[in-house]
Amino acid sequence: MKIFMLMMTLFLLGGCTFKDVKSWEKGTLAKENMKEGAGNTLFKKFSSHIYFSKEASKGGGGVAGGGCGCN
Amino acid sequence: MRLLTTLLLFSSLLFSYQKGDVVSQDIQDKLSIKENKIYIIDFFASWCASCKKEMPYLSKINDTIDKEKIEIIGIDVDEDIKKGQSFQKELRATNTLNFKVINDPKSEIIKAFNPVGMPALFFIKNDKVASSILGAKDDIDKIILHELKGLE
Repeated sequence: MKIFMLMMTLFLLGGCTFKDVKSWEKGTLAKENMKEGAGNTLFKKFSSHIYFSKEASKGGGGVAGGGCGCN
Repeated sequence: MRLLTTLLLFSSLLFSYQKGDVVSQDIQDKLSIKENKIYIIDFFASWCASCKKEMPYLSKINDTIDKEKIEIIGIDVDEDIKKGQSFQKELRATNTLNFKVINDPKSEIIKAFNPVGMPALFFIKNDKVASSILGAKDDIDKIILHELKGLE
């Protein structure tokens, strides 16, 4: 049983392996459809309204500088 | 254990070119690097807004430098080579790109340099990395000229 638990733990931990996104791999993140509302202004307004109502805060939905990991 | 954690955290820095590192022969061949010349390697992509912003400054510097001593090489890291080429065409049409560009769609060159952010500028002198400027900076032209002064 102990071995089984250990195996299961190791198996589950395998799902936690991390792979950092390199600076040159951020092209997909910089795409318009990765932004809040995915380019649809009406949907953006609607979702930001929900976010504002729930969290009592605004902003933080976009990435500065084209999402390239710049300053 | 502590050493292993530190190594994991800084692994990306460990395997990238640092100041004083010799650029591998393979990369030197790809960039056609010659000795006794200073090279400014600029990594950019069509999706990187800050890289696009830096281009006119680099082109302006390219107009003023002594090309026998200094050369600017742009590395376009767009995975879609057609997208990269049309981006370069657009820049050349507006006179904001006037230096040699090498396309790196398979990220072979940038993987060797492994910059933590883009835009990324590397200065190479005598086959070694002399310095680097990573990320978007204000007055990048002044920073580059200052670096070049230190290297000449």
